[in-house]
Amino acid sequence: MSADHKARPLLALAVAVGLLALFAVPRLTGNEYVLALGVSFATMSVLAGGLNLVYGYTGLLSFAQVGFFGIGGYTAALMVTDHGWPLWAGAMAGGGLATLVGIVIGYSSLRLSRHAFAIVSLSFALLCMIVARDWVDVTRGAMGIPGLLPPAMDLPGGLRWRIAQPADFYWLLLGFAVVAHALIYVVVTSRLGRAMRAIKLNEPLAQSQGLNPVAYKLLAIALSALLAGIVGGLFVFYLTIVDPSIFDFYYTETMLIMVIIGGPGSFWGVLASSAVLTVVPDLLRFTTDLRMVLYGLVLILAMLLFPGGLGGWLHRRRVARWRRPRPGGA
Amino acid sequence: MDLTFLAQLLLNGIVIGVIYALVAMGLSLIFGVLEIVNFAHGEFYMLGAMLAYFLTAQWGFGYWPAIVIVVAAAAALGYVLYEALLASLRGEGFERSILLTLGLSMVLQNGALYLFTTTPKMAGTSLSYSNVVVGELRLPLARLFALGLGLAAFGALYLILHRTRIGKAMRGVSQNRSAALMVGIDPRAVSRLAVAIGIGLSGLAGAALAPVYAVHPLMGFSFVFKAFAIIIIGGLGNISGAAIAAVLLGVLESVVTGFLPLVMADALAFVAMILVLLVRPQGLFGRGVRV
Repeated sequence: MSADHKARPLLALAVAVGLLALFAVPRLTGNEYVLALGVSFATMSVLAGGLNLVYGYTGLLSFAQVGFFGIGGYTAALMVTDHGWPLWAGAMAGGGLATLVGIVIGYSSLRLSRHAFAIVSLSFALLCMIVARDWVDVTRGAMGIPGLLPPAMDLPGGLRWRIAQPADFYWLLLGFAVVAHALIYVVVTSRLGRAMRAIKLNEPLAQSQGLNPVAYKLLAIALSALLAGIVGGLFVFYLTIVDPSIFDFYYTETMLIMVIIGGPGSFWGVLASSAVLTVVPDLLRFTTDLRMVLYGLVLILAMLLFPGGLGGWLHRRRVARWRRPRPGGA
Repeated sequence: MDLTFLAQLLLNGIVIGVIYALVAMGLSLIFGVLEIVNFAHGEFYMLGAMLAYFLTAQWGFGYWPAIVIVVAAAAALGYVLYEALLASLRGEGFERSILLTLGLSMVLQNGALYLFTTTPKMAGTSLSYSNVVVGELRLPLARLFALGLGLAAFGALYLILHRTRIGKAMRGVSQNRSAALMVGIDPRAVSRLAVAIGIGLSGLAGAALAPVYAVHPLMGFSFVFKAFAIIIIGGLGNISGAAIAAVLLGVLESVVTGFLPLVMADALAFVAMILVLLVRPQGLFGRGVRV
């Protein structure tokens, strides 16, 4: 990774310019379609980023993300509508509950194996949908909680920001996505991220170096659950409804594709693929069925041909370039 | 409590349990021999039911020829699936096998949604409406046939695994891969057969249920996850464990829905699975999750 250090200032500049451009979008165009794409990019990229942390860096295949997302959505909706909490507190409560649940299922299944975790996380996501549909007293059943009102947020300085326009949701979700990705970036580039990667590559070796694999795995799960829960809590107010379809397997499949295509364990790769996979299929106006057929084919091909995704392919090319003998060199 | 009602519930439970068992045993066989978790398994159950619907309701085939055609087509599809996709996974990654078969499941399920739409179809043959009446008990013929087919498939699978050479080779591979290789068993031939049998059983389950329940493209999706729970409860790779767990689950679900209508019967399988993993990770009947 030494090549990265040279590129740091350039990268920081590119990120700053890119963010400015993204945040300026609502000023340049009032086009609601563009803003809707932006909201769905922000949401999906946080989910995919969290999955990348768990699967790409730590090596745990997880289907639980969508469960955390929906738990966050339901908790925030219930807290804000029934108990009059402010939006930020509701979203935080959603994130907190999702984290707690994530730690419980992670701790109980990781005692067994990685494989048990994959299967338990899948059953957890399915259970969430069943509970949302059948526990009518709390979740209002299949009809969900419709008509969520536009929330408001108290800003420092006594200002009150009423989040009602599409542009407001765009800023809110994009703002949170920036915070979430910054957090993920800090984790994956720090000692924590290196420990996670070591555990993924060779768990017994990592353990012999004094790392506690379960602790790092739980940390990855907890962080991804926190982010997914909060983004779920914010996203349902944009939808104005939360119903059991928030646990739809569609989200799981989409975020898995984003991680696989972007390259598990590649921060920028997954971010890029979440943007491309949000925008391109929408512009092509596929029906959902055909889009999922296409995603399925892509997943099969990726597994057969490039298990490392885009990020893995770029990494392999870079390694191959380092290894190539230089003409006239030593 | 009404005894007839209870008997009816038990019968329905056993029928659905036997169908669960057909799907779960195939899944367990494939896992045991190839160490692949087949996410697309439920889609073959759906395709079997679809094909049975078209054969009987649209193209005028009888019940028995339709069953034979579906099972043969499913087994052939399993053969192709192994050669085209699964063979390249040999010995590599649990996660990769899940993602590959998940992709396949997405293609099949959404392709079926696109072609057949979500409208449920009834394979309404004359069979669907005939009953055998024993005392006060009315036994729908289609359910009895499904039960009979399921039991016949159990018997056939048992005989193949325990009495034939290739069946013994299959058990050998699932017990110890390297030892099986050392004594000259060809893993490729064994794996191919295991996938063909597994998918064939799944197709049979679909065809047997087509005259009992409505057929639609999403039917396989919820089914396969229940089958995962069943094979974990029974002990991963343990085929008779899976069969017992499946029948128990079918009966339990049926009785629970009959007497306590508001309890989440669908959640039963997953809750039971999580409890089993916590208390007895090797499954109720041994073998267990391999690390």
